[in-house]
Parts: sequence; structure tokens; C-alpha cells
Amino acid sequence: MFSLRGCGLCVAASLSKKHLPLARFIGDSAAPVAANFDVVVIGGGHAGAEAAAAAARCGSRTLLLTHRVDTIGQMSCNPSFGGIGKGHLMREVDALDGLCSRICDQSGVHYKVLNRRKGPAVWGLRAQIDRKLYKQNMQKEILNTPLLTVQEGAVEDLVLTEPEPEHTGKCRVSGVVLGPTFVPTFLSSHSQFSSLQALRASYFILIADGSTVHAESVVLTTGTFLRGVIVIGLETHPAGRLGDQPSIGLAQTLEKLGFVVGRLKTGTPPRIAKESVNFSILNKQTPDNPSIPFSFINETVWIKPEDQLPCYLTHTNPRVDEIVLENLHLNSHIKETTRGPRYCPSIESKVLRFPNRLHQVWLEPEGMDSDLIYPQGLSVTLPAELQEKMITCIKGLEKAKMIQPGYGVQYDYLDPRQITPSLETHLVQRLFFAGQINGTTGYEEAAAQGVIAGINASLRVKRKPPFVVSRTEGYIGVLIDDLTTLGTNEPYRMFTSRAEFRLSLRPDNADSRLTFRGYKEVGCVSQQRYERASWMKSSLEEGISVLKSIEFSSSKWKKLIPEASISIGKSLPLRALDVLKYEEVDMKLLAKAIPEPLKKYIKCRELAERLKIEATYESVLFHQQQQINEVQQDEALQLPKDLDYLTLRDVSLSYEVREKLHFSRPETIGAASRIPGVTPAAIINLLRFVKTTQQRQMAMNELPKANQSLCDTESLEERQL
Amino acid sequence: MWRVLWTLVARAARGPRSPRSCTRQGSGAPAPGSGATIFALSSGQGRCGIAVIRTSGPSSGHALRSLTAPRDLPPARSACLRLLSHPRSGEPLDHALVLWFPGPQSFTGEDCAEFHVHGGPAVVSGVLQALETEAQRRQALRQLDGELGHLCHGWAKTLTKALAHVEAYIDFGEDDNLEEGVLEQADSQVRELELALSAHLRDARRGQRLRSGAHVVVAGPPNAGKSSLVNVLSRKPVSIVSPEPGTTRDVLETPVDLAGFPALLSDTAGLREGVGPVEQEGVRRARERLEQADLILAVLDASDLGSPSSCNFLDTVVAPPGAGSPSENSRRLLLVLNKSDLLPPGGPDPRPDLPPHLLLSCLTGEGLDGLLEALRKELAEVCGDPSTGPPLLTRARHQHHLQGCLDALRHYKQTKDLALAAEALRLARGHLGRITGGGGTEEVLDIIFRDFCVGK
Repeated sequence: MFSLRGCGLCVAASLSKKHLPLARFIGDSAAPVAANFDVVVIGGGHAGAEAAAAAARCGSRTLLLTHRVDTIGQMSCNPSFGGIGKGHLMREVDALDGLCSRICDQSGVHYKVLNRRKGPAVWGLRAQIDRKLYKQNMQKEILNTPLLTVQEGAVEDLVLTEPEPEHTGKCRVSGVVLGPTFVPTFLSSHSQFSSLQALRASYFILIADGSTVHAESVVLTTGTFLRGVIVIGLETHPAGRLGDQPSIGLAQTLEKLGFVVGRLKTGTPPRIAKESVNFSILNKQTPDNPSIPFSFINETVWIKPEDQLPCYLTHTNPRVDEIVLENLHLNSHIKETTRGPRYCPSIESKVLRFPNRLHQVWLEPEGMDSDLIYPQGLSVTLPAELQEKMITCIKGLEKAKMIQPGYGVQYDYLDPRQITPSLETHLVQRLFFAGQINGTTGYEEAAAQGVIAGINASLRVKRKPPFVVSRTEGYIGVLIDDLTTLGTNEPYRMFTSRAEFRLSLRPDNADSRLTFRGYKEVGCVSQQRYERASWMKSSLEEGISVLKSIEFSSSKWKKLIPEASISIGKSLPLRALDVLKYEEVDMKLLAKAIPEPLKKYIKCRELAERLKIEATYESVLFHQQQQINEVQQDEALQLPKDLDYLTLRDVSLSYEVREKLHFSRPETIGAASRIPGVTPAAIINLLRFVKTTQQRQMAMNELPKANQSLCDTESLEERQL
Repeated sequence: MWRVLWTLVARAARGPRSPRSCTRQGSGAPAPGSGATIFALSSGQGRCGIAVIRTSGPSSGHALRSLTAPRDLPPARSACLRLLSHPRSGEPLDHALVLWFPGPQSFTGEDCAEFHVHGGPAVVSGVLQALETEAQRRQALRQLDGELGHLCHGWAKTLTKALAHVEAYIDFGEDDNLEEGVLEQADSQVRELELALSAHLRDARRGQRLRSGAHVVVAGPPNAGKSSLVNVLSRKPVSIVSPEPGTTRDVLETPVDLAGFPALLSDTAGLREGVGPVEQEGVRRARERLEQADLILAVLDASDLGSPSSCNFLDTVVAPPGAGSPSENSRRLLLVLNKSDLLPPGGPDPRPDLPPHLLLSCLTGEGLDGLLEALRKELAEVCGDPSTGPPLLTRARHQHHLQGCLDALRHYKQTKDLALAAEALRLARGHLGRITGGGGTEEVLDIIFRDFCVGK
């Protein structure tokens, strides 16, 4: 059996500590230097890294507290980023100048856009990522971010003080207490798991204890570490991730504060030695040529398509089903299924729910010089010996050597209806949650929340209004609105089917949706990115109006572009924009037919492509925009934040509705109407209440008008209600 | 104020106005007595001198005031003449007597209002529509049951499934393995749904017929007694000939009330080929009218069934060769053998292939009761029976959304862009959702995860 306690997952330890700039990093032996920060981010996973960097970009002095600096940027599960829906989130994170898209453009080993034939609104930018490179590049980025300090340590408790009277919440967080933390020393600078023996080694040193760090805002991104338990077969071990200690003290603190806690589970497949796989008999998938970068500010990725690595596809077979079914009694992760997710995260659930089928297994490279293969689709929690037995009955894996077993993780999450759309908790002022702690799964979902939490933690310190992305503006908005109004009881993953305004919220236009807001309202966007987005916006607008102005008869178009299937019968003249809607027509073809004035629009590949996309969706977008406006009207109707729904006497509401509103604390009429169980009648009553409150407020605000000095930021904010 | 408030509320209650958003908020009907305001036509269906519309509930006062703006509420329990106009468009609806019964001294104990309007269908439906609020529509629709409810729920189920499968193909088609033919199956389901909807909509002109009258066309060869039949039907005391001048758009078109159903009775030129250009034009019009008819009264001379014109009529109109095809399905026809008084006591000439028919003598009136009963049955089918079917108003809305659903479905597959195609399905589902509710994201995801093995 495996000894799991402290078996570090640093498959290839990337940066040894001596390479880190000392000014940025407070090492294990040093006591905390400046114990005073604007924003403290707890956790160095994908949410934490984005949150810390975003807060720092906004100008806040930020501390990133993590168990181990060398796990910053660690991809604990799949060696890939993006996909359908998730790629959308990454483009939005990038539009706010987040990190993950840029890091992926420097670290990928296989770039492929999914859904190429299904329409640009649902293209899924995706890449296999080199774990080692990603971690290196992410750590380099984090450790070179101005205003951002990184410290190793575990948070044991939160420092709480009196609440600010002008905000809701029963107390305010003002710092964190560091607990004693043991971190494993590095086995060697390049400790790879060449044998299972290596897993057993564990050495710990004590790094910090009992000291307090003062913070104006705190962002909690503890991932699966809150009372995390790892499960293989019938064995369970407390751990947040294979090799890392769970956070138990913090979980207790949160529960004591009154947060409603739930439990979720997730899993990861075993890792296989690359040289033991017979790829020659499997289907090979090659990357795109050219590679499409994730970031708006990159024209290309770091690696040429011909140097990229392939992926391979294999399938399970009836023998796999047999092994799973015969050994269910040895599988506590599966046995304990009380309320599993509706989808199939593990091979066990696939076999149980869809028997007698062949399931796909993608064999993905873990990196350029990695010896490991990640079998995506084979997440499993059987005892390790049985995992190996199962693997070897799969085509191409007959002689496969398992290097690390798959395992399940069970962990606490906090019901996300306890946070606002800015990700601040209702209960504790200035405390923000992001990532898996809110019940999501996936790097991209975590990164998206991280950016928003980091931005808002910083804005809160500056006493500025929160930065909220509406579900009409982005997948980030859909994600956060779903979480905060509906909650979740399975790990929440993004799908494009969740977005009502899918044709408007496309990967290509994330910059025009979010970059300007990020630059103007928040200041989290660099000048360079802002200028690039501005240029693109004006070029698109100009291009569209030029395309609208060029009009010919259909017969003339047919002569100009014989490739297009234009029917000549139409008597009305056609605009160039209409011709561009034809599937077989692109800007290149149009510019060839009408070089003046169109040729200047094909100089930039992205511009030409985006013009084509705008043309494709032009007519539908017009209708969608009307729907968006209606939703936004509802969202403009704000509900007072300090409303006590349980005792409110002026509004006639059923007790059930009161409880629901009390728990979710919707910020707008729009959000309230999306809460299941809140009836239209209740909405009417609320609306009436909001109207009268507004009128009363307006009347009250008439008075201090004479005395302008009274109108500070706070009262202005209130008036906006 | 009332109108604005309700509109806002209805919008809020629907959540994001996306086609699929109806279940997002998942709210149920307001609890009984929780303050909903209801309204209905209180007098009988059909044409009448004065129709009474009643409202009951806390918004009755608002409703009354908004329809009679800028006038204030009339004194309690006394009839006042008011100009009713549409609260939003300001369009005048009718001069009506209105009554205000503040609760609890009212029939229901709640605030009530009564509108005594002129009984024309246009006025009644105009006032009802002005009264109708989104929230109330939703409630009315939630109570939808019966045959149409079953149909709509069935369609909604099919459409949600097709949508879920297309969504699955978009979200999981490349990463996970969906079974072969997912999209093709969705395509064929959408095609079938399109056919079912258009068939129903063709049929569902019934609601409209109940308002404006069913087209009943009397046809037959010359001298079969068509005009006599029209005269008998419009003079018979049980049917009321409309005395209103100018309502007859055509000299040969008479609005009548047949067994309680409004009908437009058309006499047509005898159907025979040849002769002069004027008569030919008459025949052309007759055929055209036959095609538009909701019900055909085919009249033959019972004593002359063997004549070439009778045979021709039987072959081309009564039992045309294509009669079995689906497009002809909805056509209704009653075959009447007139002049039964001329028959010998043994009945008409035995013609074995003669379809079901009624015997009638316009001269003696024999067989008229049987014909009226047959007419009543047919018209109940054509117009829908107001006593059993859902109310007229709801049906108009159903029709509107079913049509919207059908239009959206027709956009599906016009493009290879699957995101656009799915948008058409979402829009279509949204229209059905306004009738049946449901179809929200969670429902779609439930189907995806039930039908496909996806997720990692």
C-alpha cells in the first residue's frame, strides 16, 4: 500500500527556493516582515494566484499566504486548460488582465480549438499544458508582480473585529492568525516519481506559528483543503491534495461563525509511465496549425505547431466494467455516494450509470520532458493494485506501468448563497471566498472567481463600489450569479448551455465586454491591453460601417464572388455585411473582390476573423440585445443590503420566501426573481417596497443637499440604492 | 401605475428574458388568497347585446382606474358611463357602464369591478386583453389542463429533449463520447414537432372562428336546393338571422347563429363546368370558397343522384381522389340529400358508394332537426366547445406562442452554425415555456446528464 502522509506531489519540483527573489518571498526561516497588508489572500492555487495578482494590479499591498511556494501554479488534476465554456472563462479572465491565459500561451504543448465547425460563439480554446512550465511561469509572474508579497504559512484562524455600521455582516475580518505548519522538505531538486518508493519519503520542518498578519480584506481560496480527505480504496487520509496537509482549524472557525458547510467530492486518475504505453495502435490527435493563443495580447504561442505533442484516444471495454463492478465493496469513495453529481466524474460512476458501453480515455502528455501520461476519463478510487489491473486491460495500455494511483478527495465547501456577487461573505465583512470553497470545480472556474475576489477585496479597501459582472456581460457573471442565487450541490462546472446570451458572450469579444470596465472602473488592466482593446473596438466599428455601406445587386455580387451561393433572384441590393454572412465567404475573399476599401481589414488576422463573426450573428444579436436590456433593467432595481427579511413587516411575504431571501440575500430584483421558490407575488411586493423606500430615501436626501460636506462617498452609495 | 407595476413584476418574475429562463425562478402559483386579482367574462360566450366582465382582487381598483383614466373611481355600487381605453396605448375600447364594489361588501368579499361593455367580440376581447397582465396570464396558463395542456406538455417535453441533445452536442460533442446520431435524432424530432405544430395551428383557427364565425359553405350542383337551404337555416326560429346591416361582406354571405355558434353562411354558384365567362367566374369563386371553408354543406338533389352533374359533384367535392391525404384531413363536410319529399317511399336510389348523408326536405322541413344537431356537433368541433375547452383568451395566447414556437423551429437547421441552430430551439422552447413553463437550464442539464455519459 501507499503511505500517503506527506507524499509531496511536486512531480518535478520546479523552482528551488534559492532562485526566488528574496525581496518578494518571505522564506521558511524568516519571521513575517511587514505584518500589515491591504489584502491577504490565503491559498496559492488557481483562484488564490489570480486573486493576489488582481488585488496587486488594482494597487493594493497584497500578501499571498500559501502552504508552500513551490506549489503555486500547480495543476493538481488534468494537464490541460480551457475547453468549451471554460475557454470562454479564460478569455474573460484575460480581458481583465488575469494571468492564466497568458501563462498558458507560454506553457502549452498541444493547442486545439474545440467546436471549430459548430460556430464561433461556442468555440472552445483548449491546450494541453506542460505542468512544470506552467508552474515555473506562474511563479515567475507572481513573484515579479509589484506590490505582491508571498509567504509560506498556514492560516489557523481569522482576526475579527466590530463590524462597520454602514455595511451588513455581524463582524469584520481584520487579519489572520498563522498556525504551526509543517512542510515537507524537497526530496531532491528534481524528485520525480521514478518508483513508488519515493512516495513514502517524508520530512517536515516547522516554519511559522501564532503570529498575526493584519489585513484590510481577506480572500479565502482554500480549494479542497478544508477538512480535505483523500480516498484510495478503503483507505482515507486527511490531506488537501496528495502530499499536502488539510486545513482543519480554519474549517472550524468558519463553522463557528455560522457558515453553512457542505461536502463535495472529486477525483483524479492514475498517472502512467509514458514509455510503457503502446501508442502505435491508438488514434492520434494532432494540434491545430496555426495555434490560436488564449490571450488577447498574444498573436502567437511560444511553440510551433510542429514541435507540439500529440494526444491519443483509447476506450474502455467490458473487462474494465467487470473489475469496477466486482470490487465495489473495496471502494469507499463510491460506496459513500449519498448525493453524487449528475454527471460522471469517475470511471466507477460511468460504469454504474451507463453499463455495457465503451468509454473514451484520452491519453494526454503531462509536459515536454515529462515521463507521465494522464489518462483523462479514468478517474478512479479503487485500491491501487486493482487500478493497475484495470489499466492494463485497456487497448494500448496492456503493459502500462502505473506511477501514481488515482484518488478521490472529499472536502468542505461553503454554500455559495452566503456570498454576494462581489464574492464577499454576508456574515463577515471584508471576507471574500473564491474557487472550490464555493463549490466549483476546474482551474478556469477558480481563476475567474479569483480575479473577481481580488478586484473586490481591493475595491473594498479603497471604499469603492464593488465590481460585479452581470450574467448578460460574461460567463463570469453566469458563474457567480448561478452560485450566489441558486447555490450548488455538485461541483459546479461551466457549460455554454448555462449562458442565456450565448451568442453575445463569445470568446472573440470578451475584451469589448470587460477590458474597458476593468480599466476604467477598477484599474486592473494594463495600459497596453487597454490600448489594444480600444484599437480593436474602433477598427471593428469602422469595419462594420464600411461593410454596411457597400451595396450591390445580387447578380453583381455573384460575379464578384462566384464562390458564394448567392441567389440572384433577389431584387434588393445586398450589403457587403450580408455577403459576409455566407458560410463560404470570409474577409479575405471580400477584400479580394473589393480591395478598396476592404484590404486594410485583412492585415490583422484577429480583426478579419472578428468582422466575419460579427456579420454571422448580426441579425440575432439585435434581438438578443433587447432581451439583455430587459434583464439589465431588473438588475438595476437594487434591494437594500440591510433588509431583514425575517422580520420585515411592511412586505407581505410567506415564511418560506422570507427564509430563501434571507439566506441568499439577492442584491437586485433580477437576482431575487431567479431564486427558486420566490413567487411572482413576492416579487411584486418586494418591488413595491423598493419603490417606496426609494421615494423615502429621495425625500430624505433632499435635506443634506444644502450641506454638501455631508455628502461623502458612503451616503452617495446609499443613495444609489 | 398598475400596468407599469405589473409589467415590471412580470418581467422580474420571468427572470432573464431568455427563451429558456422560465424555470430559473421556479416559482409556483401564488397561494390562494395571497392577493392575486382575477378577471373573466361573466356573461355567456358568443354574440350578445351587452357583455359583463368582472374582476375580483386587490388590483381591481387599479384596473378600473387604469382603464377609465384620467377619471377617478366611480362612487361605490353605482353605475357610471365611462370611456374605456387601453392603459398603455390609450386606444379607445368602448363606452361602457362601470361599477365599483369595494370589498368586503362585494360578491367575493374582495374589491370587485364590473365592466358592462357592448357585446361585440372585438370589444370584449379588447377589454379582456387590456385587463390581462403578464402575471395573470402565467397563472391562467399554469392551470392549463385538458387536451391542449397534454398536447403542449408533450411538445414541450420533446422540444426540451431535442434542445438538451443539441446542447450536449455543443458542450460535450468533442471531449466526451456521445452516441452516434445524436444530432440527426434531434433534427428529426424537431421536424416532427414542426409538422405537429403546424397541423395544430391550422386546426386551432377554432378560437378565431368562435370570435368571428365559422365559414360554412353551401355547395352543390345547380338546382340542388342550396339557396333554399340557406333560407331555411337563416329563417328557422332556433337560429337568429343577424339583423345588422353592413356586416354581410358579400351579398351571398349571411352571418347566422347556428345552434349557439356564430357562423358565416355562404351560398355558392352551382358547380358546373363550361357556359359563359360570368358563370365561370362564379364557379372559380365557389371553388375558392370551398377551399377556405371550415364546414361544407354539400347539397344534392335526392331525386337526381344519377345525373352527370350530381355524379361529378360527388366525385370532385364530396369524395375527391386526394381526400385521404393529410392536407385534406381537417376538411369537414356534411352531405345533405335535399328534396326528400320527391322520393318514393322506399328511399333514394340505392347507390352503394354513397357516403354518410342526411335526408332533408327544405319544402316540408322534414329532417331539419337532424341537420341542426349534426351542424351543432360539427361546429362544436370547428369552434371548440366553450363549455369544455380552455377559455377563449388563453387560446388566443396559446396560438400566439405556438406560432412563435413554429416560426423559431423553422429557423433551426437553416444554418450550419450550431450555436445559431440551438438559439432557434431555445427561442422555440421559450415560447412553449410561456404556455407550459419549464425548459430552464437545470432541466436541460438534467436531461443531458441522464441521457449521456459526460463529465470527467
